[in-house]
Amino acid sequence: MKAKAITLNVNGRRHQVTLFPNVTLLEALRDLNYTDVKNGCEKGDCGACAVELNGRIINSCLVLAWQADGARILTNAGLGTMESPHPLQEAFADAGAVQCGYCTSGMIIAAKALLDENPNPSETEIREAISGNLCRCTGYSQIINAVQMTAEKMMQQKAQE
Amino acid sequence: MLPEFELLMPRTLPEALEMMDESSKVMPLAGGTNLLVDLRGRLSRPQTLINIGGLDELRGVRVEDGYIVVGSAATIADLKRNALIAKHGQALRQAATVFANPLIRNRATIGGNLAYGSPAADAAPPLLVLGAEVELLSKDTRRTVPLEEFITGVRKTVRHPRELITAIRWPIPPEGSVGVFRKLGLRKADAISVLSIAVMLLHMDTGDCDQLRIALGAVAPTPIRAAAAEDLLDGGPLTPEVIAQAAQLASEATQAIGDIRGSAAYRKRVITALVQRLLTNLAKDTKEKKH
Amino acid sequence: MTAKGKALPRLDLPPLRQVGRPLRRVDALGKAVGTTVYAGDFTMPDMLHAKVFRSSEPSAHIKQLNVNKARALPGVACVLTADDLPDGKLITDMPGQTGQERRKESDAPVLAARGVRFVGEPIALVAAETLAIAEQALKLIEIEYEVLPGVFDPLEAIKPGAPIIHKPDNIVASWKIRKGNAEAGLAAADLIVENTFRVPFIDHAYIEPEAGVAWMDDQDVINIRVCTQVVEHFRSIAQAVGVPHNKVHVRGTMIGGGFGGKEDITVEIFLALLTKETRRPVRLAYTREESILAHSKRHPFIITHRTGVKNNGRITGAKINMISDSGAYPYLSPYVLLYATVTSCGPYRIDNLTVDSVSVATNNPFASAFRGFGGAQAAVAYEQQMDEMAKALAMDPLELRKINYLKTGDFNAIGQQIKSAIWLEEEATQALAALGKKESVSDDAIKIGQGFATTMQSYGRIMWFHDTSRSWVGIEQDGTIVVRCGAPDLGAGQANSLCLIAAEVLGVSLTDVTFYNSDSAVTPLAGTTTATRQLYMSGNATLKAAKMVREVLLDRAAQHFREKPNNLDLADNKVFIKSDPQQWLSLADLSKMCAVDGLKLQHLALFAAPFADKLNPENLQGDIFPDFTFSAHAIEVAVDTKTGEITVLKSVGCHDVGRAINPIAVEGQIQGGSAQGIGYALMEEVQVRDGVTRTPSLSEFLIPTAKDLPTTRAIILESGTGVGPFGAKGIGEPALTPAAPAVANAVANAIGVRIHNLPLTPERVLAALDRAKRG
Ligand SMILES: Cc1cc2nc3c(=O)[nH]c(=O)nc-3n(C[C@H](O)[C@H](O)[C@H](O)COP(=O)(O)OP(=O)(O)OC[C@H]3O[C@@H](n4cnc5c(N)ncnc54)[C@H](O)[C@@H]3O)c2cc1C
Ligand code: FES
Ligand code: FES
Repeated sequence: MKAKAITLNVNGRRHQVTLFPNVTLLEALRDLNYTDVKNGCEKGDCGACAVELNGRIINSCLVLAWQADGARILTNAGLGTMESPHPLQEAFADAGAVQCGYCTSGMIIAAKALLDENPNPSETEIREAISGNLCRCTGYSQIINAVQMTAEKMMQQKAQE
Repeated sequence: MLPEFELLMPRTLPEALEMMDESSKVMPLAGGTNLLVDLRGRLSRPQTLINIGGLDELRGVRVEDGYIVVGSAATIADLKRNALIAKHGQALRQAATVFANPLIRNRATIGGNLAYGSPAADAAPPLLVLGAEVELLSKDTRRTVPLEEFITGVRKTVRHPRELITAIRWPIPPEGSVGVFRKLGLRKADAISVLSIAVMLLHMDTGDCDQLRIALGAVAPTPIRAAAAEDLLDGGPLTPEVIAQAAQLASEATQAIGDIRGSAAYRKRVITALVQRLLTNLAKDTKEKKH
Repeated sequence: MTAKGKALPRLDLPPLRQVGRPLRRVDALGKAVGTTVYAGDFTMPDMLHAKVFRSSEPSAHIKQLNVNKARALPGVACVLTADDLPDGKLITDMPGQTGQERRKESDAPVLAARGVRFVGEPIALVAAETLAIAEQALKLIEIEYEVLPGVFDPLEAIKPGAPIIHKPDNIVASWKIRKGNAEAGLAAADLIVENTFRVPFIDHAYIEPEAGVAWMDDQDVINIRVCTQVVEHFRSIAQAVGVPHNKVHVRGTMIGGGFGGKEDITVEIFLALLTKETRRPVRLAYTREESILAHSKRHPFIITHRTGVKNNGRITGAKINMISDSGAYPYLSPYVLLYATVTSCGPYRIDNLTVDSVSVATNNPFASAFRGFGGAQAAVAYEQQMDEMAKALAMDPLELRKINYLKTGDFNAIGQQIKSAIWLEEEATQALAALGKKESVSDDAIKIGQGFATTMQSYGRIMWFHDTSRSWVGIEQDGTIVVRCGAPDLGAGQANSLCLIAAEVLGVSLTDVTFYNSDSAVTPLAGTTTATRQLYMSGNATLKAAKMVREVLLDRAAQHFREKPNNLDLADNKVFIKSDPQQWLSLADLSKMCAVDGLKLQHLALFAAPFADKLNPENLQGDIFPDFTFSAHAIEVAVDTKTGEITVLKSVGCHDVGRAINPIAVEGQIQGGSAQGIGYALMEEVQVRDGVTRTPSLSEFLIPTAKDLPTTRAIILESGTGVGPFGAKGIGEPALTPAAPAVANAVANAIGVRIHNLPLTPERVLAALDRAKRG
């Protein structure tokens, strides 16, 4: 097994890393301290490791880091910060959508992918969009509220512009 | 953690074909949603993976000589939002919408779904009723195999280790054809099929059933066509009696086994019930359409 | 959606400014932006990676264990086996913990020495320079088993001649209730209804698998950062590792879900051993598969109810039998069984009652705490039994319940008087009303059904455990507040509630409070985050400490304003004269004044739960819990009678929470708890065959996705009669308990026949329909 130098563009930052081929994107991101990307199963069942790869939401545990060489990667932490949170992050905090928080980063990335495509989703569409992200704490209702609140807020903002 | 392997990153299809090898120590890697899971579980021990997921030649859906041709590396999400599939592969589109979950759908490919050879592959029953063929290419051979002959057993296909699936194709169905897909899992999203059914009705203008195809998943070592049921329905009217009989025949065509998801008896019984329901709905819909 | 319950008479609640308002939780934004650091996120310089070698046999003698090759592998720092352990038992009973002497010798060994009793039992530990090397080392460990006959069914395990898991027999615990005369009660009945219900093993399936890192510091203290519900395990760890108690320091992190599964010791003991041995930092994180293999499960139960009832609906007597499968080691099985026994007949007055319960050892995965702690299993049985009785009497299920509900002041199954409000009738009525009319369907194959369940679930621990909690509250010189309390936060908002209480009492906003929690050495010990006890225990301790600080502040301000302290109040970061709010002083200035005077601005308070003697083992009569929460849940389902598929259409939970400290959090508990209850009813099962788990990952052990659940409407009632701060009752566990039996009752209502075993799989639905057809 030979290591290779690759480039990971994460949340707008370029990282040059030398990795073996059997390193998953999940492992690579966590090693680069993107620990908002969580490991809950390593086999596609939980969605805690969800990130955007070139604009598409995927399970980073099922992508090899080499396959993401040069691609655009976005994690939840890339959306906002404590000082300036993304509207989804703010809504998740306000709506009670965050309990233990372990599913939250994956959930928010899934919700963002939905709103990018469909700015005004129905409850059914939201449930479908987050159906690959397990949450054991909330029963999903407040998560759905948070997505709806964000959609409304973002549409209002658009209308004002 | 994943075991050790070499990973080759071809940039073109010819390059990829060049890398393929006689032995099963070399395996193509498409979306990785089966292969990486199996590697992690040590269920598969290839020495070399060839990353084919990104190859442009294997993407896209197009019309060619009266056929719909889907590149093997088209993802399930690609299928779900493609207009050609919506029109000419209705059952496949429906399968794509209930396939796994949105994250997996962005990676999982149609080629991987078939190449893996699972009896529960959700793309297989729709493709069987569409009469699909699998295009196989190696460095110096090219052939097309009907899907019915492609998968030969649990995790077994006729694909030679040196061959890649490059495309899946099927003749454009006649105008007015209708296809449906139904899957039963143990929860409402992200569940492996306990059983699945695809039905397609071709040409329906006389009130009789010109041709009806039924395919079943997860109830035999491979996805299967229910030939006896199809024969019974061929050319006749879709009366409740015939439908009931056909549903029974479909169930008899299965060789279901029991596993953690359900018993063989349950699978057989629900095949009967659901085939009956799908056919009844089809008969009703087409009648309504005529009026 | 939250709906405030209609006004019922309630205790006089003090006017509150922040408690009861839907404020953003203090921990929410950090988690939402991904800044919160979890146990698995920590790394340390020069850190080793650990792995655990586990048994592949459910019952075997270890003939030979050879770790030489693993030790010799380059990059392996150490391999430990039972031979290396000074005192290798996992002691679950420490004074002030459960405080119970149990059967000697049956505590789980830290590492198996001579034999193994379940698949997944730890045998050896490896620490290596990389995870890959650690994994490779596991493969080099050579073990030879002599396979012994195992026993996998509790009913088999209690038969004479069954293989014995722990000497002298397989009975891990047994309890009995004797109240009135059950025989006579049954004889007086017009009708006797008998049913046996079963529930399976299930996994907690928190999304965060167990993880931690440990290191030795310059005082030779073993530091362990870990996600745990119980930082007090530092004592058991110290004992097992062979160091003094004050040489183990557990630093709990924010937890990615616990639900009882992080109540027993998980990775921390292995980390302690490895770091002590190597004197280097060590990290251990379970994979999902290892988590499912290694941590406890919810107990399967077999519960038989034989109930006598008059034609008018009055229950005359009951005999209840309970058998739980404790798996290979007892852990908390005796107490889980006790909880189940105490609530076995539900919130009903049954004067003539006999209950016999046993917990049985098998070679299955071990079972221990799980949200509901036996109460959830008991409820699945008693609430289905109530519906079956109503059916047999041709009576409305709510009417039957109304006739038999406990009323405030009544005595429950063990003769404990219930002093808080019991609003079951109101809760059930409101839940059913919110459910509304059944949806109509055109397809004959689809049957719609409605059902509900009303339950009781304790909060706070068994009173003879002498439960205590401590909390420290201080005000800084700029008027900001610090709360230090050992309570671990599982994600349910435990820390937030404490901050909110301090903010309320000290008149600051929630954002002015910072908390430090879950540290066994630095924060005052607050006891376990289990048994729905933290709001009650640590909430009261924090309330007490905050009030002490408040008193100092008001006394000093009284001096300043030349007013009586009673005439002053704290709000909006100010102290002011109630009758003349224009006269005020900022808290910052006030606390500086106090500091100048050398006044005590930080207070540590202890809250001790009321104490009761142990229950009489001959009849279990006496007092056991500080209080109970009473709840209702109503469900509407659609059942496809051709495929057996069940769809939950509507879900309403109605709970008297005494006082909703944070309504959004209460709603979240009701929705999240009922989601687990619905999962329990419909799909969750760790399938175990001959001791081997056939559902090793989240592909096979299914929990509900967003598409499996409707929005649960949460109706929050506030009687103000709880023993928690401001009259609060507990909601963490009660939220789950009624949901599963409500689903089961709705399904039975839909298809007209009862399925006695959970989960209600499509296949079981069809089998039940067949039985009904056969008559
Ligand atoms: C969480 C989860 C949920 C899932 N749910 C479903 C579901 O609902 N329905 C369903 O059907 N499946 C499901 N799957 C299985 C899987 O996603 C599908 O089978 C998928 O289509 C496989 O495609 P892939 O591109 O990921 O294949 P890979 O994993 O990349 O490859 C699978 C196999 O096919 C071979 N292969 C791939 N492409 C080619 C090619 N072009 N030529 C030759 N050989 C090739 C590989 O060598 C490998 O042996 C699920 C998987 C996961 C992890
Ligand atoms: S860790 Fe990737 S899906 Fe669970
Ligand atoms: S908030 Fe805990 S898993 Fe979702």
